[in-house]
Amino acid sequence: MRVTVKLFATFREGRFKVEEKDLPDSSRVIDVLLPLNITPEEVAICLVNGRDVNEQHVLNDGDTIALFPPVGGG
Amino acid sequence: MNFEGRYKRNSETFSKIDQLKFAASTVAIVGCGGLGGYIAEEFARIGVGRLILIDGDRLEVSNLNRQIMATELNLGQYKVEAAQERLGIVNSEVRIEVVKGWFEEDRGAELFREVDLVCDALDSMQARVGLERVCHQMALPLVFASIAGWFGQLGVSLPGDYSVSKLFGRADRGVESIWGNPAFTPAVLASLSVAEGVKILVGRQPSLRHAWLQVDLQTMEFERFEIQY
Repeated sequence: MRVTVKLFATFREGRFKVEEKDLPDSSRVIDVLLPLNITPEEVAICLVNGRDVNEQHVLNDGDTIALFPPVGGG
Repeated sequence: MNFEGRYKRNSETFSKIDQLKFAASTVAIVGCGGLGGYIAEEFARIGVGRLILIDGDRLEVSNLNRQIMATELNLGQYKVEAAQERLGIVNSEVRIEVVKGWFEEDRGAELFREVDLVCDALDSMQARVGLERVCHQMALPLVFASIAGWFGQLGVSLPGDYSVSKLFGRADRGVESIWGNPAFTPAVLASLSVAEGVKILVGRQPSLRHAWLQVDLQTMEFERFEIQY
């Protein structure tokens, strides 16, 4: 299956802004994170098709995954 | 109120009635660093009648790169006192009240007495979530903003929304601990906060309820995301 991965803020450093990825069926969000060298703890928000999910969420063909690091400064 | 003098250039954007509403309003700004300093500056210039500034920190040399209240002359001074002095000569019509201490959840009722709007300009995730809880308990609207490097997030949480806990509930620390904060990011996010805040003060709908704005000043992208309930 094919999904679109969108990275935001500092996650883009040394990676990309948006990329399409081929994944085995029933892959989870965690399977997208690991090859990107992003740990679940580093993710403040993960949206799949606009809905807030955790790293165990099972992906479907055509999904868009958006990953945001925590931005907390004042 | 003299609409032809100090507030002449607010007019058309804001009606005389809006301007009177500002004068009768109180905004509490929690955190008086990069974001809070600019937020206080803009609300004072716009003509909000009373500002409550809350921060237990003193100015230090590493604040000079971005905090509008910091100068080479006032290092070591409480941030809220430095702000009070500056705003006193920016707009002496504004009553500036300062709290030299940290926001704590059990002090909400005391800190936010007769407050119309709260601005979250904190730098700790936990404190942000606690502040939202207090605002909801006290039925107060909250504008929240956060910054790190070239990036920022901004939104509005009205009682019952829990936007902050959704956005900030998971992490302990943000990437700002690595990326720092340059001068322009707090200025931009503070201005966006005030633009949302004034709408609430005059009784218009804020634009970022049940949503947040993801700001990227590297790519100049401002993207809105909905917070699903």
